[in-house]
Amino acid sequence: MFGGTVRGKLATLRVPVDADLQAHKRWAGDMRVRRAGPIGRWHEPAAGETWKERWAEQAKDKSSVLWSIAVGDRPVGYARIEFEGAPHADGISLDQLVIDPDEARKGYGWDAALALHRWAFDYMNLRLAATDRIAADDAGRQRILEKLGYVRFGHGHSVYYRDGAYVDQYLYQIDRDIWNDRWPNEREYAPLGDEKAR
Amino acid sequence: MFGPVLVGANGITLRTPSLDDHKTYVRWMMEPETSRFWGGRILDFREEAFEERHKKDADDPTSVSWAIAYNDETVGFTGLFDIDWVARDCESGIFIGRSDLYGRGIASEAVRLRTEFAWREMHLHRVHNWISLLNRGSRRANEKAGYRQMGLMRQYGFRSGQWYDDWLGEVFPEESPAGTFVPPSKGGSGDKSFQRERRVRQSSRDRARLEKPANKREEASQ
Repeated sequence: MFGGTVRGKLATLRVPVDADLQAHKRWAGDMRVRRAGPIGRWHEPAAGETWKERWAEQAKDKSSVLWSIAVGDRPVGYARIEFEGAPHADGISLDQLVIDPDEARKGYGWDAALALHRWAFDYMNLRLAATDRIAADDAGRQRILEKLGYVRFGHGHSVYYRDGAYVDQYLYQIDRDIWNDRWPNEREYAPLGDEKAR
Repeated sequence: MFGPVLVGANGITLRTPSLDDHKTYVRWMMEPETSRFWGGRILDFREEAFEERHKKDADDPTSVSWAIAYNDETVGFTGLFDIDWVARDCESGIFIGRSDLYGRGIASEAVRLRTEFAWREMHLHRVHNWISLLNRGSRRANEKAGYRQMGLMRQYGFRSGQWYDDWLGEVFPEESPAGTFVPPSKGGSGDKSFQRERRVRQSSRDRARLEKPANKREEASQ
């Protein structure tokens, strides 16, 4: 499936449109993006037609959601989650979180991640979010996850291979209770109050 | 892919799964005795769905699966899944469908054979898995083959009013009693004397450990 609009302060998660395809094609072939490991490698580089097919498959897949991350009209990255715990999926796995390297260090990744988790916990009322796709030397994503309230629950040794060497893997999870404690004011909508008083 | 026949101890064999095996697994998965730590007991039960899944497993280049036979009768399945051919890493899984045979060491021997195959024939670098912490039998079977805890995920599954945590394990060839291949030229015996190969590996590791401080002393004195 494709995800609808979730607004952050700087960036917006929105429905991917055909015009974003070129950017996806470019990111998949950018070694700076791929260096992150699985969280930055949704697909291998491919021709434009193949990318269209991939999007068609993604649009039909009910077990995952893809968003483009945009600033104004400009796509600056993408996020993808998979629902966990079928058939009554009550959690998500953070599968992809990518910001264009040329747009890095502007706060878009953090802003998009905060908005995405507000959607998961405040809007969808999910129980849990987790990820097993973080490389041990990926300080940027670790900082984002830990600021959100994720707790590291696992450490895989020599899991990803790149640059001629193995890199360890960190696994993280966050429960709804932790989210609610840490981000009580992150609400999609203000309370409506008592119907009689409205 | 399907795996080749691997003959183990105590009447246990891993063998290439048939379509009939596949149908049998599915029947077991629908029973409460076997599904406390497995799935949701809901499935597409059409004949053609079995055939599709069986063919998909056979064609999948990122997995290797076997039927587990005990005294020549299929009693479960096991496999290596999501193989990353670059990192040479994969996930493993096992399911014993005959609950009346629990506790006989079938899973332990199947995991040993599977792990040995991962090192000797596939040249994998690491195998990992997720097992319910309370599924002591499966966890022990994997620990005996060298799996060690690398994480613990809280409240992963829910059954009968209780949350289950999940145990995350990983194993590497050098830590695995399942054995890595030692060629005859290096003192190994080829394919059968797995215990002897373990001794050879362990003694060469011990030798290396004993020699290390001496080397360091020599370096320091130079």
